[in-house]
Amino acid sequence: MKTKRLWTTGVVVTLILAGFVSLFASASPDGLESVLLTGCETTDGEITGGTCVLQAAGDHEIGGAFADYGISFLDNEILGASLAGIIGVILTLAVATGFFWLLARGKKKEHA
Amino acid sequence: MSDLALHIPTDVVNGPTSLAFALLAAIAVGACVVKARRHLDERLVPLAGLATAFIFAAQMLNFPIAAVVSGHLLGGALAAALLGPWLGALCVTVVIVIQALLFADGAVTALGLNVVNMAVIASFAGYGVILLALKVLPRTRWGLGAAVFAASVVSVVAASAGFVLQFWLGGEEVGQSFGELAAAILGTHVLVGIGEGVITAGAVTAVAAVRPDLVHALRGSRLAQPAKETV
Repeated sequence: MKTKRLWTTGVVVTLILAGFVSLFASASPDGLESVLLTGCETTDGEITGGTCVLQAAGDHEIGGAFADYGISFLDNEILGASLAGIIGVILTLAVATGFFWLLARGKKKEHA
Repeated sequence: MSDLALHIPTDVVNGPTSLAFALLAAIAVGACVVKARRHLDERLVPLAGLATAFIFAAQMLNFPIAAVVSGHLLGGALAAALLGPWLGALCVTVVIVIQALLFADGAVTALGLNVVNMAVIASFAGYGVILLALKVLPRTRWGLGAAVFAASVVSVVAASAGFVLQFWLGGEEVGQSFGELAAAILGTHVLVGIGEGVITAGAVTAVAAVRPDLVHALRGSRLAQPAKETV
């Protein structure tokens, strides 16, 4: 398979994962959170009683429009989650490609 | 939702420990930049970018591992298998930084902690296991898949052990003893690692089937093709 085709296929798959498949992801706390929640009772992701490590956790320092993989100014939560995933993928692709390109570019001089 | 963030959230591990690991992470990432640059071919850049975006997407896909517990891919083993441990650790670092700065996923003050665990420890532990396993396993699709699966499990458990160490140094146990917490973290992450192993083995063998030259862990060799298999 040509590199270009592999790349395009990969980008499409990744966008589908982040923009669509992610909507069906488990909403249960992940491995780390669930252990840190031991001792607490939760309802809909909010701590409602008991004592556990995560109670000490403060709010995120920045938060921001995309906090928790949603879009805060969109009323439609599903659309927000889907768009946040797609924006995240495009942004990650751009930042990573730019960063690695800068790294590789510096090396080219040594070869020349 | 806001109470539950993935990755290490704000104030779970104290300031001095977080700072120490931020320094450690900076040194490790700096070393990765130097080493990755040496082998970074310009043609590899778009694929390294794609691998990073794929890890971002995969980290959103929490899969259930128990009744009310989920897990998600960390991606260290995947990145290391495809791109080598140095570049692989940089991919995961980019993901963690974007998550912390834009998606409120993982505290900014915990960046060093999270980078050390999920980027550095996971990538290098994963890569080490793949290389060791490929010494004894046959270089077939199944051999590679088994090596990557084992590497994924080890990488996730090793990353969670990093958290256990950080919590031992700078966490405050509430509601459970340190021993209980450590056992629960490691045990849960064996299950997360199995999920990670299935996904990662699938992804890496898929790439190896079409472009074995893009699987760093194979080091330029092709997979042996059993007579009946047509890929």
